[in-house]
Amino acid sequence: MSRMTDRPLPGAGVAAAAPGPLSTAVGPEPVKSAPSGAGRGTPRPGRGGPAGRRSPLARGGWTPWLYLAPALVVIGGLLVYPVYQLGLISFLEYTQAQVSGGEPTSFQGFGNYAALFRDEQFWQVLLATVVFAGACVVSTLAVGCALAVLLTRVRAVPRLALMLAALGAWATPAVTGSTVWLLLFDPDFGPVNRILGLGDHSWTYGRYSAFALVLLEVVWCSFPFVMVTVYAGIRAVPSEVLEAASLDGASQWRIWRSVLAPMLRPILVVVTIQSVIWDFKVFTQIYVMTNGGGIAGQNLTLNVYAYQKAFASSQYGLGSAIGVVMLLILLAVTLVYLRLLRRQGEEL
Amino acid sequence: MSSVTSRESTPSGKFAAAASSPGSAGPARPVQPPGFVRNLVRRSVRRPWRLAAEVSALLIAAVVAFPLYWMVLSAFKPAGEIESTQPRPWTLSPSLDSFRRVFGQQEFGRYFLNSLVVAVTVVAVSALIAFLAATAVTRFRFRFRTTLLIMFLVAQMVPIEALTIPLFFQMRDFGQLNTLGALILPHIAFSLPFAIWMLRGFVKAVPEALEEAAYIDGASRTRFLWQILFPLVFPGLVATSVFSFISAWNDFLFAKSFIISDTSQSTLPMALLVFYKPDDPDWGGVMAGSTVMTIPVLIFFVLVQRRLVSGLGGAVKD
Amino acid sequence: MKLAHLSARMAAPIAALVVAGLTATACAPESSDNSGGKDEKSGTLRVWLFQEVTNAPKEKVVDDVVTAFEKAHKGTKVDVQYIPVETRAEKIKAAFNDPKSAPDLIEYGNTDTAGYVKDGGLADVSEEFTDWSESKDTDPTAKQSVTVDGKIYGAPYFVGVRALYYRTDIFDDLGLDVPKTQEELISTAKEIRQAKPDLYGLAVGGAYTYGAMPFIWSNGGEIAEGKGGSYASTIDSAAAQKGIKAYTSLFGDDNCPAAKCAGMGGNDTVTAFASGKAAMAIGGDFSHAAIEAGKVKGKYKVVPLPGVKSGEIAPAFAGGNNLGVLRSTTHRTLAVDLMEQLASKKTQGALFDAMGFLPTFTDVRQDVAKREPFVEPFVKTLGAGAKFVPASPAWSQIDASLVLPTMFQEVVSGRKDVEAASKDAAKKMNDAFSSAG
Repeated sequence: MSRMTDRPLPGAGVAAAAPGPLSTAVGPEPVKSAPSGAGRGTPRPGRGGPAGRRSPLARGGWTPWLYLAPALVVIGGLLVYPVYQLGLISFLEYTQAQVSGGEPTSFQGFGNYAALFRDEQFWQVLLATVVFAGACVVSTLAVGCALAVLLTRVRAVPRLALMLAALGAWATPAVTGSTVWLLLFDPDFGPVNRILGLGDHSWTYGRYSAFALVLLEVVWCSFPFVMVTVYAGIRAVPSEVLEAASLDGASQWRIWRSVLAPMLRPILVVVTIQSVIWDFKVFTQIYVMTNGGGIAGQNLTLNVYAYQKAFASSQYGLGSAIGVVMLLILLAVTLVYLRLLRRQGEEL
Repeated sequence: MSSVTSRESTPSGKFAAAASSPGSAGPARPVQPPGFVRNLVRRSVRRPWRLAAEVSALLIAAVVAFPLYWMVLSAFKPAGEIESTQPRPWTLSPSLDSFRRVFGQQEFGRYFLNSLVVAVTVVAVSALIAFLAATAVTRFRFRFRTTLLIMFLVAQMVPIEALTIPLFFQMRDFGQLNTLGALILPHIAFSLPFAIWMLRGFVKAVPEALEEAAYIDGASRTRFLWQILFPLVFPGLVATSVFSFISAWNDFLFAKSFIISDTSQSTLPMALLVFYKPDDPDWGGVMAGSTVMTIPVLIFFVLVQRRLVSGLGGAVKD
Repeated sequence: MKLAHLSARMAAPIAALVVAGLTATACAPESSDNSGGKDEKSGTLRVWLFQEVTNAPKEKVVDDVVTAFEKAHKGTKVDVQYIPVETRAEKIKAAFNDPKSAPDLIEYGNTDTAGYVKDGGLADVSEEFTDWSESKDTDPTAKQSVTVDGKIYGAPYFVGVRALYYRTDIFDDLGLDVPKTQEELISTAKEIRQAKPDLYGLAVGGAYTYGAMPFIWSNGGEIAEGKGGSYASTIDSAAAQKGIKAYTSLFGDDNCPAAKCAGMGGNDTVTAFASGKAAMAIGGDFSHAAIEAGKVKGKYKVVPLPGVKSGEIAPAFAGGNNLGVLRSTTHRTLAVDLMEQLASKKTQGALFDAMGFLPTFTDVRQDVAKREPFVEPFVKTLGAGAKFVPASPAWSQIDASLVLPTMFQEVVSGRKDVEAASKDAAKKMNDAFSSAG
């Protein structure tokens, strides 16, 4: 694996993507005939603009739709249509009895939604979900970015070790990861309490310690994505920029804050949006680690709550309503985030 | 190569760093492979700092790997030792019993093969479809382009658990229940939006000049797409395929919902679930099964690691 | 593309989605036709049984029955599949939803009976069951577990029941007698904890519903009362509250610290006992193997869980599995016949020898208790009258939404007193009963 460090990376970084594999694909001419990138201070701005304004492909007529067709068919048929059905079912009384034909379906209007919003617990769970997901996103991003920077500061062996460990965490199925973490923190059989000298302290009894434990597991299995992505991004940053910064005597934090972070913004936007989407929908970890929502339901999050309320007992109508509410919340969060970005002049 | 352009002075340049020339961004100054890394290591980070960084990297790696180690260890512990009040980070009498229970299941090899078929098909098909779609949304301007982009983002927010019910009926109507198709089709659909979203940046990164040049040279659009663009975007495809591979490989939800009555179409996670018995869970079996499931993904990861890093780096930039 | 028009553009598809839901209500996924209709006398019978962790002995017993059955019915093939217990809910519901891939005969958990009947999945076999010569010896509790509204929807396959495991070495060491009443049980537990502070006296769990129910039942309480579809919860009655108080008094530093025990389920308490962390535990006949594999092998005995008065046995929850014929079957006669063969006295006896599952026939049970003294306390417990959860389709919903564990945990963690917690639980149950109709 040490090859990683001393061989050129095909496609590491934007600019490099062009000359590397290209020359093998079509011979040397394109390199010569690609003068637009030469002579510029840094390669990035050359292609940073909106896509294809001057591209010969731009006026493709029906071509883009031809390219899009398979994706649209699959997504339309297997994603959009089921979502449409989800919305539909959320307005019906729809339980297993209706599904298997035991009882007729009946239209409920906003009945399922009204029942949901009347439920005091729903609002508590909603608050807990937003706070918990927020904490997960922030911790994951912080850990991921810090370790990405750390990766760039070390030689091959420690880097490889950390990279492999992270990939291992990434590869572990969620059910297994949750079970292992639970075994590790078990008050009687787990090694963690032994190491920390906590006796038989129970991690799942207190509301916050239980959430903290789940948060640790979520961070463990989701930081690798952030770390690898940001690390890849840092490697793509032109070295001159960083050299200049470090020659100016800037501290590591200053370099991150004023040089790296702004340059990595597109990457950070993507990992943030993905983390929000994933952490808001955390299901397996809560379900397995707190045994279906914790002591007296103290650790319920929206997705688990939906499952307990609806899918475990086949009240598909109510479950669909919760699904729709979740979708709308996620949508709102992402919209607000994208708007904030737009205000800072970022593009989609 | 005397006329090295600035492009080569990026991390993937092939030449050793001229360590003495201080940071001028002169166009003819080639840089060593992970140029930034090397430079930082050589200049900005003094030795004790680097040592501290490396020690902490190793420590963190150990902490991150510990749960995995515990999983493998528990799989090898003999019956009863997992639930010992004196947890030891080793075992004196490693046993293969748990693995025997895993492999001794009905048609275990078949489950493994099924999982592989599903994951590989999903990866291949969704990569192809996503490549075409990403090309369309980045290299063309057309009406509804932004609407589509947003739709791809929104599509990722759908809670999968909630969709199994409508999807079940759809699979039933397609006659796909009890076939691997019932797993492959929804997984392709669920991995596409993310794949397109990730690939977008990577396709965008290929210079337009290249395209012009290709057409000037008489290449057709199809030829450009498959012989020029596709190889360039390939690392990005690898990066996105990691996601579709993991989600398809680790999936319990669709497998337990759509493979109803034909166990010959079952996948690996189903073989794992057998050990989660409500009354008497078999932790040794769970850990052994998980180990067996995780290893192929790890191998896949190690194989694509290099491309994963470069792919992600390219894919998320614009 | 700038983000300026983002929200406007995004609003359109979302609005469309919502409106679509409002207007197009007529085309929800169509219901499945589960009526079956035909009754073919040959062909392939599909059977689903639960997959046990060590499944081979079970397969052998089943294979013997199947071979004999195929011999007796020319032109009939039996295809047996073993499905994981963990995912049975999805599978069986899916089978109701897609009769094409559904089996003819299934094994199912007895708490699911009412739910499956309401889903329209199980066939009413009252007539055949009554005509079946062996059925007269079926234990009444087991029969109750296949009965909904007076109709019978299957044949009991085996029962599972819980009793008190205790450590003989510790009892000898401290010179303690085996508790004869519930009060003694509680005081003995606390005595042990005081003498050996690193042990739980009696391992209890806030999420261990079926370990807690005997305390409520022995005090005269009930989960719910009623007939047919109209149940009303009585978990907040004075008697039930007394039982809840007795059970929850076992949580605390003087027996089983709330911080650890509030979250435990049945399996956790058995694990604690097996690993030598507890002097007593409420475990099932099915926990035997796990405990034998643990540290306490050879150092424990089992007695029926004592009731309130001396000599009484606290009513235990009669768990277990049933066999049932699906309503969608096209081989009804054959399927019912195979069900009777698989649940016959002979097969249940063989299944006990192979797997240790307790038979549902009183006479067969007596026989096996003679052969295997270990099961005696469990057979005794069953003989004293075990109890069952309300035969309402709402039960699976109540179970899944953790109403009872939540109640115990609220009391144990000091969030609510017994009265408030039981009143809340009763309200939630009644909501479920009324919505499940």
